[in-house]
Amino acid sequence: MLNRLPIPAQFDRIIVVGATIAVLGALPIAAVLIALLLLDELTAPEVVFWAVAALIVAGALGTVLLPNIVHAAVSLVATLLGVAGIYLLLGSEFLALVQLLVYGGGVTILLLFGLMLTRAADDPVIADGAQKPFAFGVAALIGGIFVAAVLDANWSQTDAAAIGIRDIGQRLFRDYGVPFEIASLVLLVALIGAIAIARSDQPEPEAAEAEEVTT
Amino acid sequence: MSDGLSVELAHYLSVSGIIFGIGIAVALSKRNAIAVLMGIELMLNAVNLAFIAFARLGGNFEAAGGDPLAGHVFVVFVLTVAAAEAAVALALAVLVYRRRETVDLDRITLMRW
Repeated sequence: MLNRLPIPAQFDRIIVVGATIAVLGALPIAAVLIALLLLDELTAPEVVFWAVAALIVAGALGTVLLPNIVHAAVSLVATLLGVAGIYLLLGSEFLALVQLLVYGGGVTILLLFGLMLTRAADDPVIADGAQKPFAFGVAALIGGIFVAAVLDANWSQTDAAAIGIRDIGQRLFRDYGVPFEIASLVLLVALIGAIAIARSDQPEPEAAEAEEVTT
Repeated sequence: MSDGLSVELAHYLSVSGIIFGIGIAVALSKRNAIAVLMGIELMLNAVNLAFIAFARLGGNFEAAGGDPLAGHVFVVFVLTVAAAEAAVALALAVLVYRRRETVDLDRITLMRW
């Protein structure tokens, strides 16, 4: 059983190869951005934004284009971490930390666990469905319309003040107390539901004995 | 500074739109159930990004009664529900794999008539 799990040999290879490709792809972008920064064409926040935006889009493209599902999951992590970087750039430290914990930690580990439990490591490549051109067409249509509309609109942007953790906490627990409790209830139901769904139908011997003890 | 582009609301929203489009592509084109889940996570992240961009940079909505803190609180709730959704969906995927030995969505045709 243990030697079926894709650690450490396969993950090492993924990390080394993936990191090499990522660094090779990032070097030209970083060089151009730093050159523009030194030439005073870009300010530091702009450089950070473009670098993080490149990371996000590259990770998302990797998720959709890489045929190996484990590689796609690792590529997704780059996008999730990049989104945390954008949160930091927008002055939302709290949400950046939550993004790192929930997505960079929790959801990623859940996805990789799901992949391992469904033996994705044995046969990691399930070809894309026959609806692939249709899917890409729909994605290009919706994404294109959204981006075009955003770029076309006149936003007349004004910066709101940066929001501290204290303000978020006060708002969350005072004004949104009831939704907060409902959200915790949702988490509880999801926890119990996930255990109830994924539990095997035949209870293991120790579990059966434990049930007899409690009844 | 020069008259080069500064980072504006439209830039953040464009990144959000691109991620959302790619998320749709992932969710619709992949045949592995867990890959579809990845696409949904991408779309949720795009929505969160738009929320935060509007909360921070849409200051003129504040005059119209908008509340930047509400955007942050909404993102917290979206994160919560996304985590719950991921847990339940992966439990379902594991259950389907145990029953049918595959998570290939083209071969899970239980409800097709």
